[in-house]
Amino acid sequence: MQLRRFLTLIGLAALGLAFAQQQTLTLYSGRGQSLVEPLVRQFQAETGIRVQVRYGTDAQILAALQEEGSRSPADVFWANTAGALGQAASKGLLRPLGDTLLRQPLAFVPASKAWVPVTVRLRVLAYNPQRLKPEELPASILDLPRFAQEKGLVGRVGWTPTYSSFQDMVAGMIALHGESRTREWLSAMKALNPKSYASNPAMLDAIRAGEIDLGSTNHYYVVRFRRAGYNLGLHYFRDGDAGNLALVTGAGILKTSKNLVAANRFLTYLLSPKGQQYFAGAVGEYPLVKGVVADAQLLPLEEALGKSPKLDFEKLPLDQALRLLRELGIL
Amino acid sequence: MTRARRLQQLPGLLPFLVPALLTGGGVALPLLYLALRALEADPETLRDILLRPKNLELVRNTLSLLLGVLLLTTLLALPLAFLTTRTDLRGKRLFSILLTLPLAIPGYVGAYVILSATGPGGILPLPRLEGYWGALLVLSLITYPYLFLGLRAAFLGLDPSLEEAARTLGLRPLRAFLQVVFPQLLPALLSGYLVVGLHVLGDFGTVSLLRYETFSYAIYLQYSAAFDRVYAAWLALFLLLFTGGLLLLEGAFLRRLSLARTGKGSGKRARPLSLGRFTPWAYLLLLLPVLLALVLPLYALFHLASRFPRENLTGLWEALSHSAMAAIPASLLAVGMALPIAYLAVRYPSPASRFLERLAYLGYAIPPLAFALAWIFFSLKGLPLLYGTLPLLILVLAFHFLAEGLGPVRGALYQVPRRLEEAARTLGDTPARAFFRVTFPLLWRGAVAGGALAFIGAVKELPITLLLAPMGYSTLSTRVFSYTQEAMFAEAAPFALAIALLSAAFVGVLLWSERRF
Repeated sequence: MQLRRFLTLIGLAALGLAFAQQQTLTLYSGRGQSLVEPLVRQFQAETGIRVQVRYGTDAQILAALQEEGSRSPADVFWANTAGALGQAASKGLLRPLGDTLLRQPLAFVPASKAWVPVTVRLRVLAYNPQRLKPEELPASILDLPRFAQEKGLVGRVGWTPTYSSFQDMVAGMIALHGESRTREWLSAMKALNPKSYASNPAMLDAIRAGEIDLGSTNHYYVVRFRRAGYNLGLHYFRDGDAGNLALVTGAGILKTSKNLVAANRFLTYLLSPKGQQYFAGAVGEYPLVKGVVADAQLLPLEEALGKSPKLDFEKLPLDQALRLLRELGIL
Repeated sequence: MTRARRLQQLPGLLPFLVPALLTGGGVALPLLYLALRALEADPETLRDILLRPKNLELVRNTLSLLLGVLLLTTLLALPLAFLTTRTDLRGKRLFSILLTLPLAIPGYVGAYVILSATGPGGILPLPRLEGYWGALLVLSLITYPYLFLGLRAAFLGLDPSLEEAARTLGLRPLRAFLQVVFPQLLPALLSGYLVVGLHVLGDFGTVSLLRYETFSYAIYLQYSAAFDRVYAAWLALFLLLFTGGLLLLEGAFLRRLSLARTGKGSGKRARPLSLGRFTPWAYLLLLLPVLLALVLPLYALFHLASRFPRENLTGLWEALSHSAMAAIPASLLAVGMALPIAYLAVRYPSPASRFLERLAYLGYAIPPLAFALAWIFFSLKGLPLLYGTLPLLILVLAFHFLAEGLGPVRGALYQVPRRLEEAARTLGDTPARAFFRVTFPLLWRGAVAGGALAFIGAVKELPITLLLAPMGYSTLSTRVFSYTQEAMFAEAAPFALAIALLSAAFVGVLLWSERRF
């Protein structure tokens, strides 16, 4: 009896010791759970580092980080947009990263050096190929309203004004063409009586179902629908057009982090061939390091990068875009 | 009771007064803060916000949905209540229960069923209903039971001698109904309209999934997608104005009515109307809402759930436990808060105790989204440690569903003889001690019923959970909403099914225990 109790005690002590030794990384993720969870599981299995994830939207996380201040338990901020990371950097929430990390990505390394880009998505035009021919589609997103009017597509255009990537695109348009030209475009779009969707899959599903004929979206959503066997068209505008805006995702280490080693390993893992292959394969995003096989349906990385306008992605005028959308009654 | 005696009782009543006042504060303070926050905006911003053309559009949309739903629910509930109370149809009891069960289906699940089942590729060969008509249909089908239950009770309590008198005076049946019976149904209609109206104003899940912009939807957009808190606060105030208007209207209409029997003796029961050759049509009418609001959703949910990948079931357990971890403490807390308020209202009726009770109901009448927003502002400023934590979610759910627990608790309290408590008091117990030793054991049934109502409300609740849950804390309701938003219908099915079955089981148990039928 005594021996058993003794053994139990030893067992418990060993367990406690093991638990104490195991590192725990706290990750604040602006990216969705379905996308993050598999990668985190993979990372845990390979490194033995336990990861605790808090999910939210980029803005929610930024608000939470500022609310928590120096008491924040967060080690890593993994964001959906470069804008959010730029804001975190300018508010002094992020810790400058070492060159070994920053050397790896092929593009989009920010001047602040406070975060690393992890993947890139492009804005594209999704359309129903049974109703529209690829060669007649406009060369610039600015021409989309006129094209839709001419083709009689009033009420058959979709958009996602509440979605962050759409708002980023409007901000990019302001940066490229100025506010009045963007306002004109938004008003012309509104005149098309577009159907607004809460999410991109909902909009693409509406294209598939024949409710609408086209809509601007992120490229990987089209990739996912095509993989599921649906026939959706994917159109790039001309090189450098706002309609092809690159959307950079990335991650940074917070100043409050107490697990620097683990945090660094996590960022390194995101940029490792294995991590990048996951994004290219399972998610359909563009990897940002060399030697990763991208989806066969997609353009090669260099060509894709050439499609996007060249802008300072950390400093897109998002506030201005939101104000404009609100002013026009779109939001 | 003199003022002096009342003051004398005060110390003994403190155990009731303190929690009751805290509860009242929990409902009132955040609202006050919301108003203050909204007024803080600088004049120019304020002008922009108030004069936005979008506001007019939102008013128009919200009003037309409200009126549409009131009309459609009346067209459904009135004949259904008549058929199940005043006719010779068989199986009226069974139909009454079946017709009440759609209460168990939350609006966002209804919207989800419409989106997934209709349109190209859906299970049903119907065009996809969206926007106004979709929202109208879903909201009517899930709220008509409130009206139905009230009208049923009114029909059952109706004195047929009035109608008979009208008939002997030469009125045709239809005119007799319109002139004599219908006015007597008005109180039931009005209180039903109030509940249905509050639902429509507060609904967020249905309108946002079906893409129809009302105030609730606009508040959520401004808060979560555009991060404009000042405009969101103003929209919430507009919405509260609507709610307040609805409450006042109902009160004003009811005050002018006086319909009680003035004669002596008891009313007699009406002779059931024989439907004759209309019987099949009556059954068809009874079956229609059951099919649309119960059978179709369940069929669609089971069908979609069967396509769900098994390995993702871990997510279901997590969401189920998250829902339980929020809803169980919230329902216990709600009943705990309802007890002292009900006690004060029943044992010490006074303007003050009535005011407390009204406050509790106000917490329920406030659209949940506005309430959650008020609490976000309030907690960030006053209780920053609570912000983004599970206890805050539990607390706000309890404040909101407190009124659901209040009714049954109060009902039970009325049935506990006052003398028992007084006997304990003369033997030297304080009011609190007497309450817990003597009264509480006698009203636990009421407390359980109230707790069950609050629990199921909390499990179904969407906007409060969406806004106040800790980051990454996904419950059954938030899972259904987010999957549906992404058009991932099969993935949403098990979660929606869990909510529907859980609620249906509870509604069934409650109906049984109240012996309503």
